[in-house]
Formats: sequence, structure tokens, C-alpha cells
Amino acid sequence: MLGAFITAWELIISGDRELINILIVTAKTCLTSSLIALLIGVPLGIWLGTTRFKGKHVFIVLARTLMGMPPVVAGLLMYMLFSGVGPFGKLKLLFTVTIMVIAQVILITPLVIANLETYVSPISQQIYETAFGLGLGRRRTFVLLYNECVYPIFSTYLLAFSRAIAEVGAVSMVGGAIAWKTNVMTTAIMLYTNRGSFTLGIALGMILIALSLLVNIAVTMMQRRLSA
Amino acid sequence: MQKSLSLNLSAALMLCVLTGCSSSPAAPSAEPDKPETPAAEPAAETAPAETGTVNTVILKEADDKMINTYTLLAVNPESPFTDADGNPVDGVEVNTAGAEALIDWFLSEEGKELAAAFGQEEFGDSLFYLLDGAPVFEGEITPATEETAQIRLSTTTSVNDSGLLGALLPVFESKYGYKVEVQSAGTGKAIAAAKYGNADLIFVHAKAQEETFVQDGFAYVLPGFDTERLSFLYNYFVLCGPTEDPAGVKDMDSVLVAFKTIAENKYPFISRGDGSGTHTKELSLWPEDLGITAEADSYADYTDWYISANAGMGACLVMAEEMHAYILTDKATFLTFQANNGN
Repeated sequence: MLGAFITAWELIISGDRELINILIVTAKTCLTSSLIALLIGVPLGIWLGTTRFKGKHVFIVLARTLMGMPPVVAGLLMYMLFSGVGPFGKLKLLFTVTIMVIAQVILITPLVIANLETYVSPISQQIYETAFGLGLGRRRTFVLLYNECVYPIFSTYLLAFSRAIAEVGAVSMVGGAIAWKTNVMTTAIMLYTNRGSFTLGIALGMILIALSLLVNIAVTMMQRRLSA
Repeated sequence: MQKSLSLNLSAALMLCVLTGCSSSPAAPSAEPDKPETPAAEPAAETAPAETGTVNTVILKEADDKMINTYTLLAVNPESPFTDADGNPVDGVEVNTAGAEALIDWFLSEEGKELAAAFGQEEFGDSLFYLLDGAPVFEGEITPATEETAQIRLSTTTSVNDSGLLGALLPVFESKYGYKVEVQSAGTGKAIAAAKYGNADLIFVHAKAQEETFVQDGFAYVLPGFDTERLSFLYNYFVLCGPTEDPAGVKDMDSVLVAFKTIAENKYPFISRGDGSGTHTKELSLWPEDLGITAEADSYADYTDWYISANAGMGACLVMAEEMHAYILTDKATFLTFQANNGN
């Protein structure tokens, strides 16, 4: 394992052009997909957690089930839809970063929805009662609710980001792991593994964890500042 | 220290093998038929791998039965494309001009020379040889235009992992202004990508699958050539195994006898099991009465020695090294594996 550490370190300080490209593609893909998933999932999750309507539990169960979607299945689905012969083939999105982001959004949005719903549901009653007692209008009630949710939103974001940066099935299927274009850290690790270059695979894995650590530190700091 | 990962892996693999088949002669013992091989012995026998040198060696090569021919096929723009439900799809876009330019270049003097020389610097031997009577292109290669610049090449892992494309394509790209996007997978998936309209040309090595591809109408004859399948490079698959060679494969007359002996005495054998060209070739080398095919049912009775790994060539080589198993591999990947000290 020491060899892998040394290899990882050498790769970083040598500023290997291919590694830098892989890191940029990885960051672009995962940050975009997790942010979009957050923008879609947070309002939906809060809405599911605060409103009552018939059949609401169907949506909750659905979101929770989709959390278990295997990445490779999401990837296959997108591959079929965006293939040259698929219904969206004309868009020519296969083997681009865009389609990788779309596949990841499909994969991680249910995670955001279900997680937010779980947090909001037990506190929503209380918040509405407080707001009612204070005589707050709809808008200010929502602001109160949103303030309560800042902390879990950051945690949920990290959850979504982690799933995005760690998965290999979807991005390898729709991205094709094309060098200089759609090759991300996880697909690069797979390629090296298939070649039998295990040490290099582990080295990239370490760099991936380091990248994840940086994002986690940044987001956690923002979380502490904004929800204090 | 670099070995600790592979040793852990080996322990896990050993467990799999031993639980699945207690009578497996996983250890290269002098009496391979002895079914009472104690469970602990194989692990102990694996220990020499720690020295850092690769124990797996080439035992049989350059056998005509193991010839490995690489073929270029341009994807027909008029292919009978169908969607996932089998309904015909019209208007699938294929970059025929780009595919044609790349194939022309591969078959030009420059392309061929570079391909035939590849590997001499690093391994002292060519990894690919030019096929006698391979098609030749002598005309002018069309440079890229805005519409044709992006070429989607679907190929097999052995071509990409050996570094051949990495050595050749930049020359073509800088000279003619194209950008070649390489997707590499086992031949099965590489061909499937073309059938789904996601490739402009394929570069593969599984004759039977290529012929089906042509028969189904997915390929076409390029101007200036007389066949769809443009085979131009070849090398040999090699049969590798532990240095001790318990089956005595090295001295056998033909690779068919070697495979028969391996099967009869149940020496562990690692199969790619992934529909790749290497896998297809391996399937053709077993004695027919065993009935081994790509279907899992067909080797259900042989799991005590026949290990279907469903993994890439490099990963399978690591597995063979750790399990002291026999394995069929392309030479390029094996030499790379050996040069990297099994890592």
C-alpha cells in the first residue's frame, strides 16, 4: 500500500496532465449533478414533508425505493434512450459530460427528496403551530421552515455528492470513459484495474478520497456558518 | 508492500475457490489428481508470489489455432438499426467520412508501419504483425471537415490497453485534423455499441461475431476495398500458466491437446467469461464433448476448475497469478502485466 501512496503523491506533484483533466471532469460532473439534484429535490422533499394529501405515501415509498437504484441500471436506461437508435439519439448527448450529469441527477435526486422529507415531516406540525401562534402569514411561515432546514440541506447535499462521486456504473455506461473527455476518477480506476495496474488504481482512489475530503470540509464550514 | 493488496485478494479468491470446490487441485502439486489436497496447502504454495516476480509464464504460443486477427469494420449508414424493442429506427447518424478516413489511414503505408513497429521499443518485439495480403490503401486521405471531425471508434480492450491506439491515433489526428473518441470494451459490447448507433467504426478480433455483424447488414464495403471485414493485423494468443506447469503443457504438440489435458485433470483455468474476443477464442479451444459455451449452464458442472471471472484481461491475469491457474491471454496485455511485475 505504501507504493500506492507514493504513486499517488508523485502523480499529484508531477501535475500529470491526464490526471488533471480527469479531476476537472470529475469535479464538473459531480458538483453539477449534486447541485441540480439539490435544486429539484429540496422543494419536493419539503413539499412532501409538509403537505397532506391522499396518496402522499406512494410518492414517499417511490422516492425511497429509487434510492436503491443501481447506478449501472440508471446508466443503461440513459444509454438506451440516448443511443443513436434511441428516442433521444438526435440530441447526440451520449458520451458527453451532459448525459453523465443527467444520469447522476436521476440517480441522486430521490436521495435528496427522501432525506428532506424524513427531516421535515416530524417538525412541520410544530412549526405550523408556532407560526399560527405568532400569527405569521404563509410566506413568513415558509421562511421559518426553511431556516429550520438549512442544516439538513447541507448534510443532504454531501450525501448526494458522495453518491455521485463514488458511483462508476452510470458514468461508465453513458460516458464511455473516453480519454480527455468523459473519463472520471472512478472509471479511470476501473480501467487501471482491468489492465491489472492495481497500484495505480489505489493511488487514484486515494486522490479521489482527498478530493471528497476537500468538498466535505468546505461544505461543512458553510453549514456551520449559515445555520448557526 | 505493493503486494499486500494482491495478497489480500488472493486470500479472498482462495476462499471462493476452496468453498466452491474442495477437491480443486488449485495448488500445483506433483499429483494433481489427488483429491485430498488439504485446504491450507494452496495458500502456502502461493507465498512465492511475495518475492515480487511474476510466476505466470507463457507456455504455448504461435500455435496456428491461437492466431488472433484484428479487423476493421465501417458501420453501414444504412444499417437495419432497431431500438431496444426491435422496432426499426431511421436516420441514425453515422460519420461515414470520418470512419473511412481512419480506416484508409490504418491501411496506408504509414499506419501499417507504425502498427507493425509498435512494441519494439518497449518489449523488444512487435506486439502486432501485418497480415499477409492485408488490404492496402494508396489514395489520398480526406482531411476532416467540421461535420466529420469527430470519429467514434468502438474497440476491444486488448487494442486500447496495449497502448497501440495511444501510439497511432495522435499521428492520424494531428495530420488530418480528426478527433478520435475511443470506447473500449470486450468485443461483445464493442459490437453492441455499433448496433445501437453509437460508433462509426469498430476494431475487433472475433471472427464469428464479426461475420454475424456483416450478415446482419451493419457493415458495408468501403470504396476501393472488396470486403466488409478488413483484417490487417494479427498476433497470437498465448496460453499462460504457472512456471511449474503441472499439466506439462509446454511440451505438447498442439494447444488443443493442452486444453484437453487441463480439462481432464481439472487444473484451474481462468476464463474471461465476458464475451470478449479472447473469451470467444478460448471457447473454441476446448474439446467439443465438454460443451463449454458462453452460457453459464454449460460450465455449471466444471466450477471445480473452470473459473469464469467476467473481468478484464489484466484482472484475470492477476487472478491466474494468485491461483496458479492456466489462462488464455493476448500477448500484449501479458507482456505489460509482466513488465509491471504483476501489478
